[in-house]
Amino acid sequence: MKTIRRSSSIIYVAAIVAIMVAFPAWLPAQTAAVKSSDASSGSAVQWSVQVDRVNPGDLEVAHSFQVAIYENLLKELNKTKQFKQVFRDGDRNASDVPNLLVLQTTVEKYTPGNETRRAVTTVSGATKLTVRSQILTREGKIVLERTVNGDVRFFGSNLRATHNLARNIAKAIKQPRWDVV
Amino acid sequence: MDRFFILRNHGNSYFVGHALIRVWALLLCSGLGALAQSTAPPVNASAPFSIRATHLLGLENTKSNCNGALSIQGEALQFQQGGTPGTEVKITSIQAAFLGGESKQVGGLPMKLGKAAAPYGGGRVVSLLAHKKYDTLTLEYVDSNGGLHGAIFQLSKGQGELVANFLKARGVSPSSGEYQATKQSTVEVMHENN
Repeated sequence: MKTIRRSSSIIYVAAIVAIMVAFPAWLPAQTAAVKSSDASSGSAVQWSVQVDRVNPGDLEVAHSFQVAIYENLLKELNKTKQFKQVFRDGDRNASDVPNLLVLQTTVEKYTPGNETRRAVTTVSGATKLTVRSQILTREGKIVLERTVNGDVRFFGSNLRATHNLARNIAKAIKQPRWDVV
Repeated sequence: MDRFFILRNHGNSYFVGHALIRVWALLLCSGLGALAQSTAPPVNASAPFSIRATHLLGLENTKSNCNGALSIQGEALQFQQGGTPGTEVKITSIQAAFLGGESKQVGGLPMKLGKAAAPYGGGRVVSLLAHKKYDTLTLEYVDSNGGLHGAIFQLSKGQGELVANFLKARGVSPSSGEYQATKQSTVEVMHENN
């Protein structure tokens, strides 16, 4: 009786091993199937983005800040790998791209700081920026709108605020999928 | 009599008018002379030009916050870092150039640590004295595809004007809007605080 039970358990284990050896790609294949069905439903469309130059709005924002926000945005958006391609404002290649979104940034609030004041007082002299970021379609339809802040309070130069801001914008506009009709 | 008076009055105004025109012309000429004196000495556009600068951000294939030589040679503005081949921007592709000013703490990280370690708030006193003013040069230029680029350089105080003169001599018109902008923003901040 004992021998029969032992042999049956051996057969059972052997059968499991045989199945695992025979069909090693079952699980990954199932995952791939799920992925491919997602892709066929259209959610995995890779979008590209064109970053427009920063609009200072009614405020007198230093040109170095505008340029720094723009350049840092390009860098941060490339880092996130959320978009297939990141185009600069005015890039002629962007016109040929089928799925293109446009990122517009408008400065809403700007408080110029002072590095020396920050170092001396700790509590004052912060550089603060608040911008409204909009993702639009090529036709001008707003897909996403966020208000984002960026500042430098303690250490670092004033331009560091633009780096922080760009990183926050890139985080704020991160989407698993774009619902663009 | 009436006629005489009228004529005389007319003549008076005629002479006064002439005198005013002469005085105005004299003032205009002297003003122009003063303006000519106050403008910077003429820059030889074809002469090569090079200064030490720090690239803050923007230039392709160049590290941020790195020191190097900013030069204008021929039809290109070049930033060269050490012995590496420099990055060039064609002067014809520069759309705008802006001069600005910035005050920064000197000494970097070692100084920061020293200030933090100093007892009785001694670090704050050091911070008060250990700052330096710089000029910033912001360039906006386009690449061969029409894409907009921006680059920011930090220069020693007073050298921004020098680069501006060289760029002006090559047809780029730099504006010093940032000084104005900073002042206006400060006023806005004061309003906000009130």
